Formats: sequence, C-alpha cells, structure tokens
Amino acid sequence: MGHKERAMAALSDEKVDTLAAYPIACGVCRKLIGDGGVSYREWCGDPETYAKAFLAGQRRFGLDFAIGLMDLSVMAGDLGAHVRMDEQNTPFVDKHIVSDMEDYEKLAVPDVRKGRTGVLIEGARLLAEKLGDEVVASTFIEGPLLALSQSAGAERLFMDMFTDPAPVHKALKTMTEYDSEIVKAMSQTGIEAICWDYLWGNYSCLGDAEYGEFEGNEYAKRLNRETVEGGMAVAIHNCADLPHLDTQIKKFKPSVYSMAYYPLIEGSPSAGKVIADGYADECVVAGNLDPQLFIRGSVGDVTSATKSLCQEVKTALCKRGLNSRYCIASGCEVPPDINCKLENIDAMVEASRKYGRMDGC
Amino acid sequence: MSKEEIMDRLSDAVVGCKLDLAKAAAQEALDTGVSPIDAINVGLVKGMNIVGERYAAHTVYLPQVLVSARCMYAALDILLPAVPKDQLKDAKRCAAAVVEGDVHDIGKNIVKTMLTAGGCIVSDFGKDVNPEKLVKMAEEAGVDCICLSTLMTPTMDSMKKTLDVLRETGYRSKCTVTIGGPPTSPEFASEIGADHRDLNAQDCIGWLKGAVWHA
Repeated sequence: MGHKERAMAALSDEKVDTLAAYPIACGVCRKLIGDGGVSYREWCGDPETYAKAFLAGQRRFGLDFAIGLMDLSVMAGDLGAHVRMDEQNTPFVDKHIVSDMEDYEKLAVPDVRKGRTGVLIEGARLLAEKLGDEVVASTFIEGPLLALSQSAGAERLFMDMFTDPAPVHKALKTMTEYDSEIVKAMSQTGIEAICWDYLWGNYSCLGDAEYGEFEGNEYAKRLNRETVEGGMAVAIHNCADLPHLDTQIKKFKPSVYSMAYYPLIEGSPSAGKVIADGYADECVVAGNLDPQLFIRGSVGDVTSATKSLCQEVKTALCKRGLNSRYCIASGCEVPPDINCKLENIDAMVEASRKYGRMDGC
Repeated sequence: MSKEEIMDRLSDAVVGCKLDLAKAAAQEALDTGVSPIDAINVGLVKGMNIVGERYAAHTVYLPQVLVSARCMYAALDILLPAVPKDQLKDAKRCAAAVVEGDVHDIGKNIVKTMLTAGGCIVSDFGKDVNPEKLVKMAEEAGVDCICLSTLMTPTMDSMKKTLDVLRETGYRSKCTVTIGGPPTSPEFASEIGADHRDLNAQDCIGWLKGAVWHA
C-alpha cells in the first residue's frame, strides 16, 4: 500500500498491509537538508526551509503522515513573549507577557500572516503542495489553554484560574480568536487536518470540571467545529501522562489521537488498554514509543521497542475486532536535538513495516 | 482561642486556599504564644499533607495545590523568623533547582512545596542554574539533598554536568541527589550517578524519608 492509502484505510478501519507508522519527526528533519547544519532558527524562520526539511524527511523515512509541527512557543512569541532560540534545540518562552491580572485583558490577536505563525501557515501550504499527494498532510497548532500557559506561565495561570477566573476567560477568548484566525488561514493551504495540542486535558494537572471550564466545553469545542467546517479533519496530540480520554476522544471525536505512555505512572494507559477500552473504536490512536529512545537508545533498542509495541497493538486490535485503528508512533516529538540519531528513526519505521504486518488475527 | 483551634485554622486555611486566613492564623499563633515550630508542623504541614494526599488521589488538581502552597508560604513567612535557630538544627536541608538551559519550574516548585511540607528547610536555587553556581550554592547552604528538575530533553545533559561538578568538588559524597521531569528515567539517574529518579513530588519526599533518612 502507498502511504496515504494506508493512512486513509486506518482512518476507516479498513484492512492494511502493515500498521501505519509515524515517528513524530519534525525539527530533526532539518538535519537532512543543506550540509546538515541548518539551525533551528533558520528552519523555523523560513517557510521554504521548513517545508524542504519535511520533504527530505519523507524521502528518507517514508512516513504515512506528515505533521507540520514547529514548537510550542510560536503563538506566545508572536504575542510578544521572549522566545529563547538556541541554535540546535527546541525554542521556548523564557519571559512571559502576563505579570498582573490586567495583562490578561491586554492580549490581542496578532496578524497571523506575520511572525512565526505566518511561517507555520505558509509552511503548511508548501508542505501540502509537496507532500499532499503521498501522505495525509496536517499542521500542528497549540490549543488556547496551552498557548495562554506559554504566554502567562503555567504556574501563574493555574493559580489565577482558581483565584480570579474572569480575566483568564477573557484571555482564553482572545487565544481562541487567535486560533480561529489560524484555522481560517490553514483552510486555504491545502492541508487535510489540524493536529491540536490540548495538553492540559490531563489528570495530573486538571480535573474534568477545570478542563471543561477552561478549554473543553467552549473553546476547544468551537475550534474543533471550525476545523471541520474549514474542510479539515481534527487530530489531537496530548503527550501528558493521564490524558482526558473520554473528553478528548469520545466527546471531541477526532480522527486521530496521538498520545504517550508512562509505564512508571499508575494509571497511564498503555496502547493495549486504550484499544481494549474502546478508544480505537472511535478514531485512530497513535503512540506511544518513548521519544528518548531516539536520542539515547541504539538501533537495537528502537527495533525491540517497536516490535513489542506492534505485537501489543496487533493483539489488542484483533481482540477488539478492529483492523487498523492504530498508528505506530512516538509518544511525542522525536527530539530535534542535534544529537538525535536519524538511524533510530529509520529503525522504527523499518520495524513497524516488518512487525506491524496485519496478516489476519 | 485554644492551641488546637489555631492549628486547625492554619490547616484549614491551607486546605481551603485562604491566603488571608493563613496569614491571620499564623500571626494569631505567635500572638497567643503557640510555638512557631508546632504551628508549622502541626498546622501548616498537616494542611499541606492533606492537599498532597488529595492531589495524589486526583480529588484536587494543580491549581488548588499551587494556591494552597502559596497560603503555606505566606504563613511560613510570618512563622519562620520566630523560630529559635537551635530548633532548626536537626531539620534536613534540601535544595530544588531547574538545571541550566531550562526555565520550566512548575515541577520544581511542587517538589519544593512537598519537601517543605515534609519538614525540610528548602532552598530554592531557581531555574536555568549553571552547574558550578548550583554546586557553590549547595556548599554554602550546606544542603543534605539536591533535587534537580528539567522538562526538556536537551537539558538532560545539564543534569549530568551538575553531577559531574558535584563529584569534582567532592560535595557529591555529602548529599543525596534526586532528579525529576518527564524525559528523565531511573536508568538515566543511574547513568549520571544520581541517587533516585522522582516520579513526582510525593515520591521524592517519600523516598527521601523512607530510603535515606529513615524518618
């Protein structure tokens, strides 16, 4: 099967030759262009370079999806937060823009055609143009609560949610407008899905009531709806340890749900459990190899972990009467660190093709 | 008001996230001659431990924990200066820090809170802390334990560098080192020579008390 054919079959739970495979290899693909020394700043500051890296990644690894993920400081940075841009590592916010309650109300939606949001949008257009025929091309956007936590600082935001929620809601409305503008622009790029990062829907941080009030009930619901109205599918990424699966899968009804697994944390759901509990009945579940494997493990380690995951998934899918509703993936982005081993990504894809064969239950 | 009632007010203020009540109860404890050590250990710590247990049981969540911690610290600001120095001599001294290159400190702050609730005197070394500077601060503070945190993969190397400097200066033999954060693992802790990888803040204080201090 071709990559897109396999991915589309998985979305419909039709029979596939092998399970779909997608190590979330994004920033690391910059190592495949030029002389291999393209900095993170260069990669995420220019749409041509950004898309070129994804194309090079596709040529080398042969993936079944493409997700245009930059990093989690894009929106906060364009709102005015200072972003620390190390040359070969993931950028992050090191100076927030909310220092008192009034600052929440001062936030204003920036021009999404400018800044790194603009790069993300133009990059998505180029990604869809270059890869749309062979893979399901999508883009990655920070959900409103995540974008606000990046702008205000998570600790401050969480305390303010509890002690003075009204200004926080005003800020979340602004963030949702910002996201909505991005959705509108993305709907014109040719990409087929938006992958929302709704990170804070996890029981290590928020309960159902808190998550519902500050993202799930209103803001995420609107953005999911607008994504679909814009002709794109909804995907969700949540790499937290105890994700709100009932809300984010059964209520949000995404096409793909990408998640991690923390074996040492009690209650963190394994691939087998997620499938057994019926979540793969609802959508393609993607996960859950430890991203650290790609940087710290050997080819043998990656192959072994991928083989083990494939066996767990195949057994669970068969027991559940499902054909293909799982994508062998990393639980979060493959570390874009300069030291990340590309041969480990090769090994994961190769092992997925070999051990993920679906020859019948 | 009886001593017990003041203790309950301190505990209830922390559990109920009432900043003004926590400060008022702390002042009342001092005004009525309650030992500040008792006010901390029997009042505030009891309250924070209740919050910690509820957080572990997923009946309260991070926003409440953070606000409870803020109440506890506000009361501590009033009580600690009144504690006679000799009464603190047996308390374990800990440091919490986010390693160089990383500014994500929410996990570190929760660890700091639970160590404080566990009766430790905690120095907050901050975030993005250079290894040499961190070790110098540890030596100056005379800490028994250092808890290192990072959220990001690239900065895991800063944890290793910090352990390297601790060994080079000879301070490693004088302190316990725990690490935490999503990219870390028990294997990584072993690889860099840390004593323990904390699953979470409760695990950190629980392990220190059980396996190290035998408290």
